[in-house]
Amino acid sequence: MCQHTLIPSFQRPPSKVVIRRVANYEQDLSALIHESLAAFNLPVKGKTILLKPNLVGLDPLGVMNTHPAVIAATRESFLRSGAAQVLIGDGPALDRDTEAIVESVRLREYIGTLASVFIDLNVDDVARVTLKTHASRLNELYLPKTALGVDFLVSMPKLKTHHWAGVTLSLKNMFGIVPGSCYGWPKNVLHWAGIDRAILDINAACRPDFAIVDGIVGMEGNGPIQGTPKASGVLVFGNDPVAVDATCCRVMGLEPERVKYLSRAGSLLGHLQVNKIQQLGESVASVETNFTVLPEFETISH
Amino acid sequence: MEADPENSFPEIETSFRQIVCLSFLLNAQNADGGWGFHPKSESRAEPTCWALQALRETSAASTEAVARGVRYLRATQLGDGSWPSTPEERTGCWVTALCCWTLQGTPDSAAAVMAGLGWVRDDWPQDSTPWRRFLAKFSTRSQVQPINNSYRGWGWTPGTSSWVEPTSFALIALEAPSDVVPPEAKRRRELGEAMLYDRMCSGGGWNCGNPRVYGVPGVPLVIPTVWALIALRHYGTKPENIMSLDWLDSQIVNIQSAGSLALAKICMEMCGGRWPADAPVLADLYERNGFLESIQVAAWTYLALSARSRWLARTPEKTA
Repeated sequence: MCQHTLIPSFQRPPSKVVIRRVANYEQDLSALIHESLAAFNLPVKGKTILLKPNLVGLDPLGVMNTHPAVIAATRESFLRSGAAQVLIGDGPALDRDTEAIVESVRLREYIGTLASVFIDLNVDDVARVTLKTHASRLNELYLPKTALGVDFLVSMPKLKTHHWAGVTLSLKNMFGIVPGSCYGWPKNVLHWAGIDRAILDINAACRPDFAIVDGIVGMEGNGPIQGTPKASGVLVFGNDPVAVDATCCRVMGLEPERVKYLSRAGSLLGHLQVNKIQQLGESVASVETNFTVLPEFETISH
Repeated sequence: MEADPENSFPEIETSFRQIVCLSFLLNAQNADGGWGFHPKSESRAEPTCWALQALRETSAASTEAVARGVRYLRATQLGDGSWPSTPEERTGCWVTALCCWTLQGTPDSAAAVMAGLGWVRDDWPQDSTPWRRFLAKFSTRSQVQPINNSYRGWGWTPGTSSWVEPTSFALIALEAPSDVVPPEAKRRRELGEAMLYDRMCSGGGWNCGNPRVYGVPGVPLVIPTVWALIALRHYGTKPENIMSLDWLDSQIVNIQSAGSLALAKICMEMCGGRWPADAPVLADLYERNGFLESIQVAAWTYLALSARSRWLARTPEKTA
């Protein structure tokens, strides 16, 4: 279940992150993902799991959304590990036609029928959640009951730069749980509250239990929609979304401490420092691929 | 004897409309009279509006369901005349315009509609206040998103920016008969219409409201384009309308969801466009995902496959 109790980072045990090198989406992702998840010994048996990919828009070329092959292989792996149910859900921010988006990314081809598996979080039943962090001016948000109620929530972003936030990874991906039916398309109230601060509030209210970042092909420059595809050849796994995002930044040749929201998340939500992250699989240096950022974010580059 | 416009549809479409869409909508009505976004989900104003708009086009069989739905809507109106997106919420939002549009012409709803439209008239976006416009002159963001903030539309939620869809719904709601439209609404409509034209994408069509970001043209989307064209349908000869209708026409054969296809069909018919012979078939798209069990998509589909004799039938006065 979403972690509603806020545990400051200094009270958290060290986090674990696994980097795996993956050449392309045609590789046997099921075996690779299953093996990677085994390293975490996750408590998923008999549980209901929600995979929260990043589905931002119509994407026939497969460059802006989490790739369906990664989503399907992850779902299969959790089912093999004994999960009772593995749902997939997102609430796209710019287009209310979620069905058109999932069709454009060919999710049905990989998953099969979506009717009982896919949840459009934009139009899910909602519950009022009081925001305890007060990082932004928002005091409360209505959030989808599915996201709040599942036993295990997995944030599955694409490895991308972002024109307002610097990077969009597993923490920023949680914007997608904020329901458009309450806040619109786009969820403009979050922009008015300050994107960096809203990211902190949302993740403090509904912190993902796990993160898997699709960096096989990412996006650089004017992301999250109009950037340039960037083949990075990695999947990044971790039990702490802050540690995963910090590691992804390092893979992208960026300094996580200089990304405003990540820097603050490092004291509130998880570990940012390398010495608090147990790094398994490939080393950061061996897979580092420098991502270009917009001029406003040059300060976050190495 | 006058021909029944409902009989002008091919039998296969009529049976799909009646057997699939109508049954789905009627069976999904909650005990409180409202509809949720899906069967068995909690009643909310937005799906209730869409279901009511569809059921009002049906025969007498839906009369009781419509009456219960109308009562639900009236009961969820807030004291200031607005409607919230979810009953627990105490602040109104864009859905107020949709509720006003839906309740127009229903018995005993004139006061509710008047109060709602009064709220809509007074709901100014925050991004375009004189102070914000002054500040914007010094902001690098105005170069990033070059839009004219002296045109003012409506936001999704109070105190935020103008966007295409809520502005379109407000304009449609303000087409109401003059006895329920509040004073000064005309000026707001003019500003809202100007805002929509300002936000049109360069080749026609609309997205949520960003025609250009960081020098890159925004890509139009079907649903915002449909609502903007319907809101601006009285200016059908303007080059912007023609270009946008052409853009929508070019997209139809590639539409992959029933929701967009249904709305595109309605829009083409209302705006005088032609429906391509090779357009996808709504029933085929339903077969893929069962509308993802969406009440609003079922309602839009019902409307697309009906004569819509009660839907936006009145031709409003043109604004200058």
